[in-house]
Amino acid sequence: MSNRRSDLRRTLTGLGFLLPNILGFLAFTLVPLAMSFFIAFTDWDILRHNIFREEPLRFVGFENFTWLFTHPEFWHYLGNTFFLMLGLPFAIAGSLGAALLLTRVSRRPAALRGAMVLATLVLIGSLWVLRAGGMAEAGVWFVFGLLGATMLVGGVLTGGTIYRTLFYLPHFTAGVATFVLWKKLYNPQTGPINFALAPVLDAVAAVVQAMPRVFSVGVPLLSGVLAVLLATWQARRLRRHWDDAAAGPGAVGLGAALLVLPAGFLLHWLGLRGWLATLAAAVLAAGFTLATVRRPRPWGPVCARDAGVSAEIALGLGLVPLLLVLAAAVAHGAGLPAAVADGIEPPNWLGDYAWAKPAIMLMALWAAIGSNNMILYLAGLSNIPPELYEAADMDGASPMQRFWHITWPQLAPVTFFIFVMGVIHGLQGGFEMARIMTLGGPAGSTTTLSYFIYIEGFETGRLGYASAAAWVLFALVFVLSLLNFRFGNRNAND
Amino acid sequence: MKAFFAICTLGLTLGSALLYWSLPGKQTEVPVIWWITQDDHYKQEIVTVFREWLRDQGLPDVDLRIDNTNQDATKKLVQGVSGVGADLMDLYGFQIDLFPATGMMLDVTEEARQLGFSPEHTYPALRDEIVQNGRQYSFPRNTGSALFWVNRGTFRRLGVPFPPYRWSTDEFEELGKKFVAAANPPGTRQRAYFVNGVSRDVMRRGLGLSTFNETGTFCTLGDERNVAVLARVRKWVVEDRLMPTREEDAAMAADISGAGSMFSHFDSGRFGMIYTGHWAFIMIRPRGTFELAAAEGPQDGFPNTEMGGGAVGVYAGSKHREHAVRFLQYLGSEHFNRLIVRQADSLPPVPHYATTDEFLRPAGKENEWPVHQAFARATAETGITLSKSPFVLQSVVYRLEMEIYESMLAGRLTPAEAAALMADRINAEIQLTVRRDPALRALYEERLEVQRRIEEKRARGERVPEAWISEAFHRAYYRAQGWLEEEKP
Repeated sequence: MSNRRSDLRRTLTGLGFLLPNILGFLAFTLVPLAMSFFIAFTDWDILRHNIFREEPLRFVGFENFTWLFTHPEFWHYLGNTFFLMLGLPFAIAGSLGAALLLTRVSRRPAALRGAMVLATLVLIGSLWVLRAGGMAEAGVWFVFGLLGATMLVGGVLTGGTIYRTLFYLPHFTAGVATFVLWKKLYNPQTGPINFALAPVLDAVAAVVQAMPRVFSVGVPLLSGVLAVLLATWQARRLRRHWDDAAAGPGAVGLGAALLVLPAGFLLHWLGLRGWLATLAAAVLAAGFTLATVRRPRPWGPVCARDAGVSAEIALGLGLVPLLLVLAAAVAHGAGLPAAVADGIEPPNWLGDYAWAKPAIMLMALWAAIGSNNMILYLAGLSNIPPELYEAADMDGASPMQRFWHITWPQLAPVTFFIFVMGVIHGLQGGFEMARIMTLGGPAGSTTTLSYFIYIEGFETGRLGYASAAAWVLFALVFVLSLLNFRFGNRNAND
Repeated sequence: MKAFFAICTLGLTLGSALLYWSLPGKQTEVPVIWWITQDDHYKQEIVTVFREWLRDQGLPDVDLRIDNTNQDATKKLVQGVSGVGADLMDLYGFQIDLFPATGMMLDVTEEARQLGFSPEHTYPALRDEIVQNGRQYSFPRNTGSALFWVNRGTFRRLGVPFPPYRWSTDEFEELGKKFVAAANPPGTRQRAYFVNGVSRDVMRRGLGLSTFNETGTFCTLGDERNVAVLARVRKWVVEDRLMPTREEDAAMAADISGAGSMFSHFDSGRFGMIYTGHWAFIMIRPRGTFELAAAEGPQDGFPNTEMGGGAVGVYAGSKHREHAVRFLQYLGSEHFNRLIVRQADSLPPVPHYATTDEFLRPAGKENEWPVHQAFARATAETGITLSKSPFVLQSVVYRLEMEIYESMLAGRLTPAEAAALMADRINAEIQLTVRRDPALRALYEERLEVQRRIEEKRARGERVPEAWISEAFHRAYYRAQGWLEEEKP
C-alpha cells in the first residue's frame, strides 16, 4: 500500500515537472498543427473570419489544394525551392572538407606550420603586388589580406582552435546580420565582390579578345573532349560496377539517365528541337542500360535490384552540373570572343534573374560549411578507429585511398543524417533570405515555398490556402525523407 | 530539485506580476494610448503638440505613446485581427483598404461629422482613400502627389538641360539618354542613373488606361496601351539604362524595405532625379541646401500624378476609443496643419494650409519654393489615388504586377505576354474572391450590371452618371473628357 502510494506520488511529481513542457507542446505545436490541417479544408480568410467579422467558416473540400496545383506561382516557387537545394551536396562536401582540414591541423600542427607561414607571406606579397599594380585602390584587398593573414597566422599560433572558431562563426551570427552583410557584399556597384571581380574579368576579356581563335575553337573543342571523357568514364564505371555486383539495374539506369540531361541540352543548343533532342538522348541511355543489364556477370554474383542507387544520386549531383557547363561551352563557346567584345560585366548578383538563385546558394554554402554539419563531421572523424588508418598505412595506401576506403565509409551514418536534415531544412528554408535580401525577387526567382506560405497567410490573409500549401510542403518533406530512408541509408547501416 | 523548481515558479510568477505593474498604463492616472508609427523627432513633436492642443481645447490629457516596433503591415494585421492592436495605426497604401475590410478599424463617420474631420475637410481626391462603402475609417496625416525631385545642381554640373515640369515620354527619354551619357564617361561602368524609377500607373493613365475598369470588376492591363507602356519602360531599364531595376536599387541599401539609398544617391549625383512624395524634405533638408525643382512623371496625353500618403485610423478594439478619435480630430486642426507645414513632412491634410505663404514660400528656404509650389499644384490639380477594386487586395495586385514586370525585364516574357498575363492573373484572383465571399459576390453582380450600362452609354456617346463610376482614375478621366454626368449638389 505504502509502495503504491509512493509510486503514485513519484508519477505525479514527474508529471508536475513535465507539465509545463507538455502544456507548451499542446498549446504551441499539437493544437496549431491539428488546426492547420482543419483550416486547409476551409475558406478561412483573415478578412472575413476574425474577431471583428465572424462569418461562418465554409468547408471547401480540396478546393485549396486544387487552386494550389493549378496555380502557376506554386510550381514556380516549388521549382525555386528545389533549385536552391541543389547546393546541398556542395554544402555537405564543404563541411566535410572543413572538418578534414581542421582535424589535420589539430593532428599535425608542426607539419603545417611552415606551409602556413609561407602561405601568409605569399598572400601578403600578392596583395602588395596587386596594390602596386594599381588594381586595388580602395584597400578592399587589404581587408581580405588581413583576414587571410589573421586566419593563417592564428592557425600557426593556436593550432586548430582559432580555425574551428572562425569556421563556426557564421553559425553564431544572427541570420539577419549575415544576410544584410551579404547584401552589401553583393552590391553590384560598390560591393567588394564585384570590386574584386571587375579587374579579373577585364583581364579575361582582354585575353579572349587577344586570342579569339584559341577561345572560339579551343574552348569548345577542349570542353567536348572533356565531356566525352567524363561520359565514357561514367559508362565504364557503370559497367565495372555491374560486373562487380556493386550496382543493380536501378543504379545502371539512373547512372545512364544522368547523361541524358546534358546530352539533351547540348543537342537542343546545337539546334535540334528540345523534346526531340531529349528523346534521342533518352533512347541512347536506355539502349546503354539494356546492353549493360543483359551483360552476364563474369562470376555470376547477385545483388539487390536497387543496389548503388544512392551512390548514383550523390555522383549525379556533381556530374550533371559539370557536364551541363561543358555542354554549354561546346554549344556556345564559338561565340565567346564576340560576347566579350565590350568587356565582361561582373554579375548583378541579387538583381539579375539568372544570378539571384546562385548568389543565394553561394551564401548558403558559406553558412553551411561552418555549421553544425562540420561539428558532426568532426565528431564522426574522431570516432574512426585509428587502427584502420594504421593498417592502411602498413598496406601502403595513398591519402586518397585512405579517404575513399576508410574515412568516407566510416562517415556514412553522419553523411546520411546530414543529408536527411539538409533536405528537410532545404524544403522548409529560404524564408529569411527572401524576406531580407530580395523580397522574393527578381520576378519571384528567390521566392521559396516557405516564403510563399507566409505571403499567402499573412499578407494576403488566406489562411486556408496557406495551410494547404504548408501541408503540401509537409507531404513533400515526408515523401523525400521516406525515399532517403529507403535508398540512402544502406551504407549508413553497414 | 523540487525546491529549486518551486523557487523558479515563484520567481517567474513574481517577475510577471512586477512586469504587469510596471506597464505604462499602471504607472499613471492619465489614459495611455499607443500609436504605431515611426519613432523620430517629427512624430515626437506631433505628440507634444497633440497634448498642447488637448489642453487648449479643454479636453482631458492623454499619454500618447509611439510604438515603432510593430510598423510592419503583417504585424499590424495579425495583431489587429487577433484583438491586440494598437489604439492608433498609421495606414499606408493597401492597408487603407485592407484593414477596414477586416473590421478591425473603427467606423468614425459620425464622430468625423461632429468633430470636423470628415472627408470634406481634406482633398476631394482622398475621399476614396478614407471612405469605404460610404463609411469613414481614417483621416490623412501625410498626403500629396508623388513627383520627380530634380537636383538641378547635378544637371548643371553635367551640362544637361533641366527637366520641364510636364513632359512626354519621348522628351523624358531624350533627356535621360543625355544625362546618362554625360554622367557615365565612355569606357567606365555605369554608376549614375537619370532617375530611380518611373510610375507605370502614371504612364498608363496618361494613355487613358487604368488597372481596372470603371467598376473594378475587371483588370484591364491586357490592353494594348499597357503593352506600349511596358515596352517603353523595358527599353528605359534594359537598353537605355536610364534607371536601375528594383533589385539593383534595393541592393544598394542595407534594408530593402526602407527608403533605400535614394537620398544619398540623389545627394551625390548618382540619381539625377528621385520619384517620391513631398515628405522627402525631412530626409533632404538635413543633407544641405540643394538647388531643387520638381517634375511630373512622363506621360502622353492625360496629365495625372499619383496621389497617396498615409492616414491614421482608430483600432476597433481600442479601450480608449474616445481619446483615440480625438487624435483624428487633431489631424484636422490648425495646430497639426501648421506643424506639418513647418516640418514639411508631406502636404498638410487640410488643403487650405497648402496655399499659405508659410507652406509655399518658407522664409530662408528659397531653394525649396519651386518644389513646394509644384507639389501643391500637382496635388490640387492632377492628383489621383491608387486604382483599386474591392474584389482583389491591392497587395496581391502589386505583387503580381511587379513579378510579371520583372519577368519581362529579365527577358522571360515579351511586353505583350506580360500585359496579358497581368490581366489573366489579377482577373483569376477577382474570380476567386467573388466565388468565396457571398457579400462581395452580390456586389460584383451588381457592378457587372452597372458596367454593362456604362458601356452601353459610352457606345451611344452619352454621358455617364458619376455615381456609377467607382474607380478613382476613371472618374477623373471621364470628367476631363466631358463624359461625366456630374451629380447635382
